[in-house]
Amino acid sequence: MFFTYLRRELRRRRKAALVVASGLALGIALVIVVSSVSSGMEKAQGKVLQSLYGLGTDMTVTKAAEAQSGQNQGPRFEFDARNDDSGGEQSSDRVMVRGFQTLAASTVSKVGAQQGVSDAVGGLSLQVLKVSGEFRQGEFQQEPGQGQYGGGQPGGGGGEPQGRVQGGGADFQVDNYSVYGTDVTKPALGPLTSSKITSGRTFRTSETNAEVVVADTSYAKEKKLAVGDTVTIKGTKFEVIGIATPDSGDAAANLYIPLKQAQTLSDSKDEVTTIYVKASDSQQIDSVKSTIQENIPGTTVTTSADLADTVSGSLSTASDLAANVGKWLSLAVLVAAFLVAGLLTSAAVSRRVREFGTLKALGWTSGRVTRQVVGEAVVNGLVGGALGITLGLAGAYVVTAISPTLEAQVGASGGGAAGPGAGPGGGGPGGMSGGFRRQAATEALKVALTAPVSLSTIALAVGLAVTGGLVAGAFGGWRASRLRPADALRRVE
Amino acid sequence: MYELRGVTKRYTRGKPTVHALDGVDLTIGDGDRLVIQGPTGGGKSTLLQMLGGLDKPTEGSVELDGTDLAKLSEAKLTRVRSENIGFVFQSFNLIPTLTAQENVETALVPLGVKTGERRERAAQALESVGLGERLRHLPSEMSGGQQQRVAIARALVKRPKVLLADEPTGNLDESMRDEIMDVLERLWKEHGLTFVMVTHDSSIAKKAPRLVTIRKGRVTVTERDARGALS
Repeated sequence: MFFTYLRRELRRRRKAALVVASGLALGIALVIVVSSVSSGMEKAQGKVLQSLYGLGTDMTVTKAAEAQSGQNQGPRFEFDARNDDSGGEQSSDRVMVRGFQTLAASTVSKVGAQQGVSDAVGGLSLQVLKVSGEFRQGEFQQEPGQGQYGGGQPGGGGGEPQGRVQGGGADFQVDNYSVYGTDVTKPALGPLTSSKITSGRTFRTSETNAEVVVADTSYAKEKKLAVGDTVTIKGTKFEVIGIATPDSGDAAANLYIPLKQAQTLSDSKDEVTTIYVKASDSQQIDSVKSTIQENIPGTTVTTSADLADTVSGSLSTASDLAANVGKWLSLAVLVAAFLVAGLLTSAAVSRRVREFGTLKALGWTSGRVTRQVVGEAVVNGLVGGALGITLGLAGAYVVTAISPTLEAQVGASGGGAAGPGAGPGGGGPGGMSGGFRRQAATEALKVALTAPVSLSTIALAVGLAVTGGLVAGAFGGWRASRLRPADALRRVE
Repeated sequence: MYELRGVTKRYTRGKPTVHALDGVDLTIGDGDRLVIQGPTGGGKSTLLQMLGGLDKPTEGSVELDGTDLAKLSEAKLTRVRSENIGFVFQSFNLIPTLTAQENVETALVPLGVKTGERRERAAQALESVGLGERLRHLPSEMSGGQQQRVAIARALVKRPKVLLADEPTGNLDESMRDEIMDVLERLWKEHGLTFVMVTHDSSIAKKAPRLVTIRKGRVTVTERDARGALS
């Protein structure tokens, strides 16, 4: 009888059941969408961090920021002003350590020896500024007695001509790219792990000091580099052995070379900029961080959680939105849906006072009547849950299909101090001098947002549906259990 | 057999206390047919509730075959209702979503009758009230008279000792009224029931062998002999 009655009630009072179910469905759908979007956010954030960090890296160690000493020198370029008319092309490479701050290579093994550290690997991040071009000599036409004049006097800013020089000038190109010196003996850790080798090969563990380079795919495209080509960095020719494509976002560097080569190029023997650390237990990251900071003074340890805090831009805004507004909104809608379902069920019981009173008069126990009411409410809840899951999956699917692009800006991850803020320029080409801000100060990455629905989200939704049904059933059942059998004799509905 | 002694029912609604029943003494023998009559609000329904174990008196005792219903727990009272008492209501009180047969079956559910037997007994009961062809009809698909016959089948399917009817013809037109009264009278005789009926209808009241008039919570019993003379 229980099921017959239940079935009949639900079928013949479909509309009322649907109202209760839709309320719950809305709440549940919202929970699914919000939780899947926020896990999508997490994934997006993870991607952003991964592209900076590499897979498997739990934290990085960099040199602690020091007070500006004034010693930080921007790159200087010196070109000869030639007297002849040849106008030959000249070029000059400046290889700088990113952030101008390094740690001794011995720190790597020190960090590796700390408790809770599974592995540590050092890397050297370089910035190469290549200026190349030619001077054209101007032609001096007036007052021949003054003698000849070399075009482009250093620092002159075009200087005040003593006579009239016509047609002189300079044509220079500035090429700016990043190079990362990677520890080829430990290929499992470091920024290169977030890229796949899509052409050629990666470093062999024996190539600790080989003149080989792995190029990032977008840089390779820009410079038309292919496996087998050569790249010259500060006079050294490197053979391109592979092209790396980052899994997501931007690559950590344009070119990857063996660490030792990078140290040689930048005159920073036995120095590294960043140490990538993998903790033995991902739950213990915070304690490992404090251990390192305590035992190795002068370092800054940045965990991925710290880095996540520095993620800003639309991704961060959306992530905050999903985490806060979304959570509260779905909670509020859910509570409202539960309440509405409860009140509607209770109201339905009130409308059926005579029906339940009659059943009680016929000898149905309160328990049996209550079970019937709760049964109906739970089925309503399950119908609502099914509707809600469908709706929620559709919502998540739409988000994934549209996959809105979010921009993330990641704040400076290390303690690097910015160089003097003058941009390249100055006077004449001969005296160009200036520093530039550390490039990693902010990295803007574009990430597509997806809304992956996990099984646990579905389980949560089913749980909520049953809970919603039970809440509604509790309201209705409580009302039904308080009915008196004498209500059967009520004359007015 | 019913023995009511000093049955009083007071309702306190706000300040004034209403004496729905005020020291009622009444004996109803097995197989008796009794009609309760009286003005609205006089206590007719309250008396029926006491007899049916739907409510308990404030004072006094309501004995059914030696068991005082006033002292029973809610669970035991429910048991008494399910086994011994059949109800027929003015507005039929059928479950609108269930078919005629299923409605009749609801009376057998608390007795733990197995599904197959339940269906069969419900079908038989409906046949005995002339609705053998309407087992699968919903209440909304039947006339008032037919609905009331379903309700009568529901009341009698469990073979109770007592049939209590609260204005069973109150919502029916005259032809239906006679039809229902005929069915009730026939079943009363067939089943040897104790039959108590509340009615406003004086033409029915006139035919009753024993008439209880209730006014302001107090009862007056009028007996008729076989010739219909009052005594």
